[in-house]
Amino acid sequence: MTRSIQQISLLVGKDLRIEARSRQTVGLVVVLGVLIVVVLGLGLGAQQGGAGLAATAVLWTAYLFSGVLCFEKTMGVERADAALAGLLMAPVDRSVIFFAKLITNLALMLCVASVVTAAGVLFFSFDLSAAPWRFAGIMSLGMIGFAAVGTLFSAVVSSTRLQGGLLALTVFPLALPLVISSTQALLRIFRDGEDMGAQALAVIIAFDVIFLVASWVLFEWVLEP
Amino acid sequence: MKTPGKMVIAIYWALTAGLLGAAVVLALLYAPTEETMGPVQKIFYLHLPSAINTFLAFMTVFIASIGYLVQRKSWWDDLASAAAKTGVFFCSIVLLTGMIWGKIAWGSWWTWSPRLTFSLLLWLLYVVYLLIRSSVDSEQRKGMVSAAYGIVAFLDVPLVYLSARMLPDIHPQSITLAPEMKMTLGFWFLPITLLNAGLIVTMYWVHAKRRANRNVTETEAPRAMNLELLGKGT
Amino acid sequence: MSLAALQSSMEAAVIVAAAPIKTVGLGMAIDGRPILQDITLEIGRGEFAAVLGANGAGKSTLLKVIATLARSTEGTLELFGKTVGRDSAELRRRIGLIAHQSMLYRELTARENLLFFAKLYGIAEPVKRAELLLEVIGLSNRANDPVKSFSRGMVQRVAIARSLLHDPELILADEPFDGLDAPSVAATEQLLRHLHNSGKTILLVNHDISQSLQLASRAVVMRKGRIVIDAAAQSLNASQVLIEVSGA
Repeated sequence: MTRSIQQISLLVGKDLRIEARSRQTVGLVVVLGVLIVVVLGLGLGAQQGGAGLAATAVLWTAYLFSGVLCFEKTMGVERADAALAGLLMAPVDRSVIFFAKLITNLALMLCVASVVTAAGVLFFSFDLSAAPWRFAGIMSLGMIGFAAVGTLFSAVVSSTRLQGGLLALTVFPLALPLVISSTQALLRIFRDGEDMGAQALAVIIAFDVIFLVASWVLFEWVLEP
Repeated sequence: MKTPGKMVIAIYWALTAGLLGAAVVLALLYAPTEETMGPVQKIFYLHLPSAINTFLAFMTVFIASIGYLVQRKSWWDDLASAAAKTGVFFCSIVLLTGMIWGKIAWGSWWTWSPRLTFSLLLWLLYVVYLLIRSSVDSEQRKGMVSAAYGIVAFLDVPLVYLSARMLPDIHPQSITLAPEMKMTLGFWFLPITLLNAGLIVTMYWVHAKRRANRNVTETEAPRAMNLELLGKGT
Repeated sequence: MSLAALQSSMEAAVIVAAAPIKTVGLGMAIDGRPILQDITLEIGRGEFAAVLGANGAGKSTLLKVIATLARSTEGTLELFGKTVGRDSAELRRRIGLIAHQSMLYRELTARENLLFFAKLYGIAEPVKRAELLLEVIGLSNRANDPVKSFSRGMVQRVAIARSLLHDPELILADEPFDGLDAPSVAATEQLLRHLHNSGKTILLVNHDISQSLQLASRAVVMRKGRIVIDAAAQSLNASQVLIEVSGA
């Protein structure tokens, strides 16, 4: 068990070091997220009375698209020069590889989410002051399940052959329950001033648990060519 | 699975068509018209059996996907894609009948009601399954990705259902069914389910045959070149 | 001697005596198409076997299955006397793979790459071992440069160093000479000979027939997924093998 944790931190450290060295992923993904917020801001006529309760729509759109790009790039590091085969040859459990990648993805998504949310608050004058922690909590929880399926499918779906967008295609429909639940929860909190309600939270948590476990199990199966 | 004789196939489809015809007659003539909603309610006889069969088809995709992942035998994959295509077909019917009902009963083609949203999301989930299959070139990859997605998508279905239920339902529907209506509804399940099974099996054979043909044609060409045809001094 | 002691010494004897590679009726089919058929092979300790064959004969696939990177659909594979199943993490400790792709991280330096893998393999004193191997491959003075700045030959050297970090008993090499210039080819040949002389078992997949016959002690020729020749390298000559490989 300690060995696994050691290996996970070794792998995550390697990923973050590569990221720091190349700065490829974070920069691109953050900028994409901000761009999406800007496009939506312009398109929705933000601050001209058109945006209103568009907060979750804007943020989820930005998170989903930049998230998918993020997953593609972190797995792309392993695809180049078949580095993944090097990992598979080592005495490392496949689930260790999965969790390490998941943690890397979550860390990067956190950076992106912070910047994108800040941009949203700025451009749309979103008022999160009523319940900032509940907002952060709901979105972060949703991020976990999303990253789990994203990590799983980024290992199977290769976008190297002019088929960019395949990962997005795969992951988006799966993530829709997250969008619905978090939106409904946030509507209840911010628009109706109520408590978020057990159902939405239950769905998000169920999503996380089911997809964490499913991705963990399936990761090993899909890695065996 | 060997292709059964042409006789059997013909009888099967004749039976299905006959039952479908009888079902339509029952729905139009035998079942009474519901008071509040009028004749459009009869679309329900098509809607509900299609919905159940959609679910059955997608469950088949789930099981076949697991089968493929565990056994790696290509017939699981053929079954999964056959069931997915059939499922999308029936899901389209569910979606369309739902929309028609909504338009006639309440005047708009679309509302984000729990039922319609659920149908739409389900439809999207499995249309994407088909799109993924057509986007991945390598046969082996295709099987793996489809199987993984087929499993995860089915696990997503209850979550989609639960989250769709959180949406506001402007037109809640509760239909009380008279005994004749129940009978008609029950009868409709026969042709629809036969259609479902028949389509899945037919598509399965089509896929299996296509795969067999493909394996025959992909071999390496003879290695030696015919250099003497270049002639002298080329 | 107690029964337990007898049992464990027998186990030890089996482990010592077990052949590094033993396959019985190994087969692999993708989509119903057979890539490997009925491969029965035993590579003994210290042997240097070259696997030859045309493109698509199945040589690389066979190597991948033996490396536990791919799963066979039929037959059995035993490495060091243990059947390869789902959890072969410990078996992989005894295998080193050299492929034509480097399996390294471009953005990291040579030193960082080797250190990373050394720690991943749980090698005692990883820093020392990485430094030693950097010296062996003669890249100690370039160790802090990112791998992406290296020539193909240098990358190959780092890849070889990585495959030797954990001192594996079995070396698998898949077309290691691909894309190398003549001096690098000579250096890689020299390395393989050295490893062979140190008692390592080597399985080399290569398309250059005469080169392979010179290096290896045994030649296994494949055609269309089957083994057609399995003999001592000295007993064969290149043109004979070429005919077999091209198939009549």
